[in-house]
Amino acid sequence: MTAHAMQRRVHDAHVLDRTELAPDVVLLGVHAPEAARFTKPGQFAMVMLPGGENAAVALGIYEAHGDRVSFMFFVCGKRTHDLARLHIGDRISFYGPLGNGFLLDDVHSGDVAIVAGGVGIASVLLPAQALIARGVTVRLYYGARSAERLVDAQRFADAGCEVHTSTDDGSHGYHGYISDLLASASHTPTLILACGPTPMLRATARVGTERHVPTQLSLEETFACGVGGCWGCVVPLTRTSAQAPSFPPIECDGSDVVNARICAEGPVFWAHELRW
Amino acid sequence: MSVDLRVRIGTLELPVPTLTASGCYGYGTEFEDFLDMRSVGAVVLKSVTRKPRLGNATPRLVHTPSGMLNAIGLQNPGIDWYLDHDVAKFAALPWKVIGSVAGFAVDDYAYVCERLAARPEIAAIEINISCPNVAHEGETFACDPHLTEKVVRSARATTDKPLIVKLSPNVTDIAAIARVAEAAGADALAVINTVRGMAIDIDARKPRLGNITGGLSGPAIRPIAVLAVYEVARAVKIPIIGQGGIETATDALEFLLAGASAVCIGTANYADPRVPEKIVAGIREYLARRNLRSVRQIIGEANVGFANSYQKEGDEG
Ligand SMILES: Cc1cc2nc3c(=O)[nH]c(=O)nc-3n(C[C@H](O)[C@H](O)[C@H](O)COP(=O)(O)O)c2cc1C
Ligand code: FES
Repeated sequence: MTAHAMQRRVHDAHVLDRTELAPDVVLLGVHAPEAARFTKPGQFAMVMLPGGENAAVALGIYEAHGDRVSFMFFVCGKRTHDLARLHIGDRISFYGPLGNGFLLDDVHSGDVAIVAGGVGIASVLLPAQALIARGVTVRLYYGARSAERLVDAQRFADAGCEVHTSTDDGSHGYHGYISDLLASASHTPTLILACGPTPMLRATARVGTERHVPTQLSLEETFACGVGGCWGCVVPLTRTSAQAPSFPPIECDGSDVVNARICAEGPVFWAHELRW
Repeated sequence: MSVDLRVRIGTLELPVPTLTASGCYGYGTEFEDFLDMRSVGAVVLKSVTRKPRLGNATPRLVHTPSGMLNAIGLQNPGIDWYLDHDVAKFAALPWKVIGSVAGFAVDDYAYVCERLAARPEIAAIEINISCPNVAHEGETFACDPHLTEKVVRSARATTDKPLIVKLSPNVTDIAAIARVAEAAGADALAVINTVRGMAIDIDARKPRLGNITGGLSGPAIRPIAVLAVYEVARAVKIPIIGQGGIETATDALEFLLAGASAVCIGTANYADPRVPEKIVAGIREYLARRNLRSVRQIIGEANVGFANSYQKEGDEG
């Protein structure tokens, strides 16, 4: 048994509630008391599909409270389509919680900007709640394609976040990219956390660099195993990173880079340690 | 009735006929929290090469109908680092591990094989002459009888441990390659590695994989793999480790009946990490229902005119 034992396992759960937050954006609440107890902000789970013919889907854990955890996902492709067809009472199994989540152990004060793009919102409610509970000021920068897709923004306001929004079509909030809204903010945060599509993460990392703000990115990649077993989900990381896996220097390359597994060493990395 | 699930791969005795496939399962520790690892007869480790390799650019994975494409590109720390940092950890594992060796030249295989096989933590060696995901060479070994012969013979000379040769389905006549591997000294054959494939993103108008092409695995390739096992079983006397899309006991039984002595589970672990457990339970139930005492009794039974190695040796356990 590893040190994770007891904390990560297969959970055989059932669907408690199902909400369509927007067309093709589904929130599934499931009964999984142990997962709720052990989930750390920014962790994810591998949600198994009813048919079993395809690999489980990696989903950020949106809420974890009492006996319930929830998953929010966009329907895109066969696997999420199958998940979206689950009803209240249906069985659902997943393995997790997985990954290391956001690196928040040393964050007890200051103000944090959380940047979320699209479904990236699904991984940032737990960190927002955890930080607010510690008395940290949290500003949420939340971008989506359209007003309709800015799902659950009110939830963050209710939790105590100052919410800033943007849409690609200008139907709500700032008209443009959320990273541009962050860049133009008069206020400089002490820490940036971000989750969303890769171009948004890259742009957010640039803002962090320009403003000298340490920045953590929760990365996206296609997963197969979700537990570090297949090396399918890598990102180039500097060898000096505390998160770098055991790997020798590649001399011919002359570089200090090692490919880290997003699912196992991440999914959250310090932006300045990535070599992507 | 208690059912005997033990099988033998050369001199390697396995308590159950279910292994996990190379490159899919880490060291096993990645999955141990999710299932009873006694249902995993051995973990076949990720292939290791002479020099460290960073592997291919991402994306390395694409999910496809009933399967997936991968192009990892043999990312591994190289044999020196592996021996110094990783292999010692295997001693503490309660399951057997089988080393996997890949290379780009005949002497790469012999060199890595010799050094890895010398370690007591390694129960057997699989040589992967069939990786479809490395620029040129990788798979050519398994596609060319002459190269297969040279690689297997030189690896064989380095060790007495069970030597498994992993074959490619991307050939015209897999039985011919199997015969060559057997003659060159292989103790067993792993059948099959992934099937070459490709997927294109119609919005970006380019291939989905960083490596452009990849290897298809999962249920999508199962019938291809069953046929390959069937044909190889008729061509050789050595045991076969069947693999390719196995996700249920029914699937595993198909391979055993076609002539495999054991099976590997790869991609199905990603659909449900308890798959090995379910397969072992299902095989046990299948045998018990039919009053069969040993899994060895059914090996090759569906393969008309073929006598499996256990039957040939009169070993009914
Ligand atoms: C992500 C991934 C990585 C793999 N890496 C290796 C490898 O390093 N060496 C090897 O011999 N086979 C490798 N394979 C092939 C598998 O061991 C197995 O033969 C193949 O996937 C078919 O079985 P499956 O359909 O059960 O996955 C890999 C397969 C996958 C999906
Ligand atoms: S998805 Fe398998 S190593 Fe990350």
